Amino acid sequence: MGKKKRGHPDVEDILARPWCYYCERDFEDLKLLISHQKAKHFKCERCGKRLNTAGGLSVHMNQVHKETLEQVENALPNRQGLDIEIFGMEGIPEDIIQQHNQRIIQNFYTAQAERHAATGNPPAGQGPAKKIKIETPEEIKKRLAEHRARVAAQKAGGGAPLAPAPTEGQPPQSVSPFPPPQAGYPYPPPGAPAVPGVPVAGVPSYTPPQAYPPTYPPGAVPPPGGYGGLPARPPGGTVPASNLPSRPPYGGASYPAAPGYPGASTVDELVASASRPADDIDNIIRMAERGEKPAVKPEEAAPADKKGKKEKNARMVYGDTEVSPEEKMVLLPRYAFVA
Amino acid sequence: MAPTTQFEVAQPPSDAISAVSFAPESSTRFLVSSWDKNVYLYEIVTDGDNRTANLVQTYTNRAPVLDVCFGANDNEAFIAGVDHQVKRIDLTTGDMTVLSQHLQPVRCVVYSPQSSLLISASWDCTLHVHNPSSSDPTSHLTIRLPGKPHALAASPTKVVVAMTARLVSIYDLPTLASALSTSPDSEVQPWQQRESSLKFLTRSVSCMPNDAGYATSSIEGRVAVEWFEDTPESQARKYAFKCHRQAAPEEEGGGDVVYPVNALAFHPVYGTFASAGGDGTVALWDAEAKRRMRQYQRFPNSISAIDFSRDGRFLVIGVCPGFETGMENYSGEGQTSVFIRELGETEAKGKSAK
Repeated sequence: MGKKKRGHPDVEDILARPWCYYCERDFEDLKLLISHQKAKHFKCERCGKRLNTAGGLSVHMNQVHKETLEQVENALPNRQGLDIEIFGMEGIPEDIIQQHNQRIIQNFYTAQAERHAATGNPPAGQGPAKKIKIETPEEIKKRLAEHRARVAAQKAGGGAPLAPAPTEGQPPQSVSPFPPPQAGYPYPPPGAPAVPGVPVAGVPSYTPPQAYPPTYPPGAVPPPGGYGGLPARPPGGTVPASNLPSRPPYGGASYPAAPGYPGASTVDELVASASRPADDIDNIIRMAERGEKPAVKPEEAAPADKKGKKEKNARMVYGDTEVSPEEKMVLLPRYAFVA
Repeated sequence: MAPTTQFEVAQPPSDAISAVSFAPESSTRFLVSSWDKNVYLYEIVTDGDNRTANLVQTYTNRAPVLDVCFGANDNEAFIAGVDHQVKRIDLTTGDMTVLSQHLQPVRCVVYSPQSSLLISASWDCTLHVHNPSSSDPTSHLTIRLPGKPHALAASPTKVVVAMTARLVSIYDLPTLASALSTSPDSEVQPWQQRESSLKFLTRSVSCMPNDAGYATSSIEGRVAVEWFEDTPESQARKYAFKCHRQAAPEEEGGGDVVYPVNALAFHPVYGTFASAGGDGTVALWDAEAKRRMRQYQRFPNSISAIDFSRDGRFLVIGVCPGFETGMENYSGEGQTSVFIRELGETEAKGKSAK
């Protein structure tokens, strides 16, 4: 009982995480989110300056580089617009928030079901020991209707019930304030209650309806590579690659506009397809979620033999590799010691 | 929370600074050695919200002083002189006694409180090992070095000597102590011999207070961090990084101006370290997390020496013109200053120390 949340946070915890409007990633805290936005979405590709908002970047591009910012970099296809001013969690339209929460909830229960299918363990805190039945009015009405029909049938036929009453298999409802989605959710039909939390024989393995990215525990780095079954991404073509500052290359830096995106109808698919191999900045941010802010990295460990090429222009203020400055100073009349 | 503050010593040395060193007991007492042949003793005084560092006393040597360190207590100091001598100074009386006579100027001195040993490194390519608290403090062990020493530092059980030709020797202090007490004429072999991780001349060495390893810096704007333990895993952990560089203006051909990293100092409490360079900046690094934690505002000149107080609250910074290639008329006169930075509670606290 004690280690309830180990590894699998509650849906409430996940919903409480700040997330990025542009790419739907979620973060440990707001500071990291803002740092992510500055690094991924509001960074000037010409000079690397990190601005606070898309508007700020637009003004910067305009004034400093005399260019027009067309869209927000690294954003999901339908979130590239400059018309919405986003800063951290501020400015996200209400309907997008709703959509996000729906997606999180759905992903959560999918992941939970997957875990259940894989391990056979009931989800944390929802073991068979405490089944609390909470039925929606619709369900009660439905059950009532079925009961009436059965009674009527019994009266009419005077024999055995026509259909087995589904009372035994009634799916217990989650105690969470965010119950699994009911409508349009592609679980097996009622009667084969494959609802997470109830071990049922005869449901061999649960197949997730779509290529959802699993919900990662905080701090985990998503595995490299995309998720199976996705259409190949067209190469990003809006920005001439040669103008990019030296960043690690990755596929699909920019997306075509949403309508032209083949087969991506839900936010989930877009998000899933956006889970390209995590690049440096995001890795740093992910790692930093465990502690300090990503801030400044020492210009990293360059093995001594690599540097010949890189530093053709370096000028050393003191260049003698054999004799130290002190040895030279001692030779000056000013500091010489005459015994 | 009190803001971090920085203040300047009112009476700095009259010429370039060779070393700065905090006392082993009091965190407000420090020494500065100078090319003007003097050693200066300062005391940090708090008056309300105001802090100043007052000159307590000066001790004059007959030649420029290249290094200074405290001894077993706050009233004992040792100096390395251009006059080939290692001297002990009684800071209360001002008495100077010669402990050792080298054949060339003495570049560094270091005192190990754990083993009560004083080690001096001279350009005559020897180390002298003394026990200043023994009945015969002048008797010493002489260790021949394979190269000219340029930097010296002690951890609780090791002493690291960095020499020309990228040579680094590490000696085990208990071994030195027993050799000194039993057979002063014996030849002590280094505990480890290494090649420097840095391609260029070593400027400074500093050891981790937890005895795990050390950092070195070179004239070519680079710092290396490595560990004592001689296992492949430990050696694979070592790394080096560039720092103390500046982009040169376009009209001068661009590229980087690379400054020497003149001084390193580990924080005694958090195990993070500071580096100081010819570019006049001090940076704080987290050796474990491989991150720069802070970079302080530029000082008016090159920084030649830094040291943390024993409680880690103060960082003393010796500022004077750096000796650059081709300087025939070098002088630090009138351009030498000493700054003290008071660190905030967690200013030097690394991520790993959390």
